[in-house]
Amino acid sequence: MLYYVVYLQCMYYICNMKSRKIYNRISILRQEKGTSRKELAEKIGVNFQTVGYLEREEYNPSLDLAFRISENFGLPIELIFSTKPLKPLIEEIIQLKNKIGES
Amino acid sequence: MKNQKSKKQNRIWILLNFISLIAGISLFYMVKIYHWPLSYLLIEIVILAIFFISLNKAFIVTKFWKMVHTSSKNLDEREMQVVLNALRYAYGIFTVVCLIIIYAFAIAESKPIDVVLAGGLLYLAHTLPAAIVGWNEKVI
Repeated sequence: MLYYVVYLQCMYYICNMKSRKIYNRISILRQEKGTSRKELAEKIGVNFQTVGYLEREEYNPSLDLAFRISENFGLPIELIFSTKPLKPLIEEIIQLKNKIGES
Repeated sequence: MKNQKSKKQNRIWILLNFISLIAGISLFYMVKIYHWPLSYLLIEIVILAIFFISLNKAFIVTKFWKMVHTSSKNLDEREMQVVLNALRYAYGIFTVVCLIIIYAFAIAESKPIDVVLAGGLLYLAHTLPAAIVGWNEKVI
């Protein structure tokens, strides 16, 4: 019984290891494209409620889902998701252009 | 704001459902053990009505019951995580409740658990995961 309790505690710890908050631009990109949450949800293969959770940054997508979102918007993953608070997209594009120009 | 309100409503219906379940079973045993007049069982009818209404509002209309009992093929990754988490907590809570009841009956050296209590535990086993989902999630 004691070993089982310890096992449950370990599983609880593993399952609840705090992951970082992932910031994203899904809401802005979706609105720019003029699609509803339901339409986006159908395209990326999730429930429309999950799109809501993603947009409010209350849920971190799996790698597969992140790639599907990036393919849907036709943008690289790094422009849609970030572990740091996001700057306006135009600033990111200008930074990328400058980096390409320098190289 | 609307979502917070719906979450609060969910929680009230879930609490009402479990309170009416406990109240119904307790009243049944009170009448049985202390030989109260059978008219008390009229109160049971009111409690049953509250129970079925809250069951409908908390688990059926909100589709939380369906979410927990559906095949994993019909759930997206977030919903699967939510359901697995709910099952984990429900398993723990249900185990503790069962053990307390079994030990209480053993200590009291009373008759074995009968159909009413067993039915209540069966209902709890089926609805606890949906209740946990409903407690944390907004309406589907």
